[in-house]
Amino acid sequence: MSEAKVLTIKSAFGYKFLKYFEIAKVNYYNSAAYLLNLLSRSATVILRIWIFAQLYKVTYAASGVSEIGGMTVAMIVWSLMMTQSFQSSTRPPISQLIDEEVKTGALAYSINRPYSYIFFHMAGFFGRSLPNLFINLSVGLLAALILVGPLDFSFYGIVFGMTLLFFGYILDFFINLIIGLLAFWVEDTSAFTWIYSKGQMIFGGIILPIALFPEYLQKIAEILPFSLMYYGAARIAVNFDFYLFQKFIFMQFVWIFVFGLSAIYLFNKGIKNVSINGG
Amino acid sequence: MGKSIIDIKNLNKEFQLKQKNSGFFGGVASIFKPEYKHVKAVDDISFSVEEGELLAFIGPNGAGKSTTIKMLTGILFPTGGEVNVLGFDPAKERQKLAYHIGSVFGQKPQLWYHLPPMDTYNLFSRIYELDQDEYKKRLDFLVDAFEIKDLLKTPVRKLSLGQRMRCEIAASLLHKPKIIFLDEPTIGLDVIAKQHIREVIKYLNEKEKVTIFLTSHDAGDIETLAKRTIVINHGKIIFDDTTEKLKKDYIKTKIIELIVDEPIEKFEFAGGEVKEKTRFSLKVELDTAKNSIDKLLSYAVENFAIKDINIFDPEMEEIIADIYRDKKI
Repeated sequence: MSEAKVLTIKSAFGYKFLKYFEIAKVNYYNSAAYLLNLLSRSATVILRIWIFAQLYKVTYAASGVSEIGGMTVAMIVWSLMMTQSFQSSTRPPISQLIDEEVKTGALAYSINRPYSYIFFHMAGFFGRSLPNLFINLSVGLLAALILVGPLDFSFYGIVFGMTLLFFGYILDFFINLIIGLLAFWVEDTSAFTWIYSKGQMIFGGIILPIALFPEYLQKIAEILPFSLMYYGAARIAVNFDFYLFQKFIFMQFVWIFVFGLSAIYLFNKGIKNVSINGG
Repeated sequence: MGKSIIDIKNLNKEFQLKQKNSGFFGGVASIFKPEYKHVKAVDDISFSVEEGELLAFIGPNGAGKSTTIKMLTGILFPTGGEVNVLGFDPAKERQKLAYHIGSVFGQKPQLWYHLPPMDTYNLFSRIYELDQDEYKKRLDFLVDAFEIKDLLKTPVRKLSLGQRMRCEIAASLLHKPKIIFLDEPTIGLDVIAKQHIREVIKYLNEKEKVTIFLTSHDAGDIETLAKRTIVINHGKIIFDDTTEKLKKDYIKTKIIELIVDEPIEKFEFAGGEVKEKTRFSLKVELDTAKNSIDKLLSYAVENFAIKDINIFDPEMEEIIADIYRDKKI
């Protein structure tokens, strides 16, 4: 291949990458525009962590044990703080944004630009979530330190936990995207979003760590996509286990593949069906 | 004759609208036994647009204007017919076409609401893969043309509608589109802001040779800007000719509203017909072929205690009714 051709391909790739980076950056600015708003939303994490810390302290004391499923009270509180921070940093969900795009007719702009509509939303999702995650984690970290004290994090736990978090975000994005794309057919997708968020709450380790589930339910929950978004990352970060990491990341890839393909299929199908409101 | 860059042949768009009875049981019934109404938003239309043309595409609400624009830009898929824009089939090559066209939907913002316009411009420069030096030169040019230098760093939410509209149009021109689709660009603007936008549109067409496809409710937009006008109603083209002909044959009147301090007893003016009268106001329809606005205003100032004067174009519905009457459609 000639040098000029290689350079053209490199620069074409650079331009493509830059556009999605810029989309993420503008979403980041937009999300960080109201710092006070972000902080006030994060404050609810403190309240929830305090409730959970009291609940689990009492439960463990009543059971007379210091560990359940390999998790101490401190690990559970730190794990819940993380899952809640990770999940709430993705608000408002992408499904809601697409639903609004269709309802308000803003889709006329977002669909009509030279980029992939799916990557456009994915870049926006990461850009929006980043400042939320930073604030939520900072506030949550402070709350967990005060309520249950520090935890002995391992270097591997943090690195592998962050890897799982990255792919967990992608998985959450694709499922929410699918729900949002349903707006191309149905009038309102909020009911689907509600059901999905409840599934995440119950099976996603948001209010109850999966390590505390009965064994059979634990096995089911660990292969469902809900637990693979944020619980997997938090579980590995607080108590590193390489075998569990492999299991989580394998299942993440399987679900990302399934939901990713489904999202592409739905988009290609839906775009022919969409009718944009407002003229 | 110039090169044709938009070609539409027998274009159709049909929507399926779900019907629902009111109340809870009506809602439940519609789940189990959905009923649909089929609406032909665009009904077998054909026309071409030449390079450098400034075409007005007008009609009342729900006539099919926006639906046509959305099919021309690839946002909506046609139910039938052929569309060719700059050699692309918009439905199949939406992304490729997007590099060469710009669009402004007057009622929908494309600028980021909480951020200054400059952030959106920088984003668009990347989305359209512009060379950054070229982009800066282009931006400088647009900033001067649209007089938006002072607005670049102000969050969009703090801009007036007129200011925002100028920034919106500038955003659509950063990538030097060959065609720009303007869907109601002057909607909701005051007279001064409208005038400013019209000047900019004229400038783009005359100096930059951008082909402009304009939809508007405002007869003033069309009279000032377009050489050719297409009128669409109920999805069908009912007029496609010069704007001059439209004006001569169908926009023959102006509505003049006089607000007065003392009641008007008698109003007599050649070519002026009183349409509405209250104790302190009067609406006159003036046939501009028979008399001029300035003469009517002089007559009004001389004879009545004028407090305020408003001048309107006839309603789009009236123009269309005239076309129907004339063509016996």
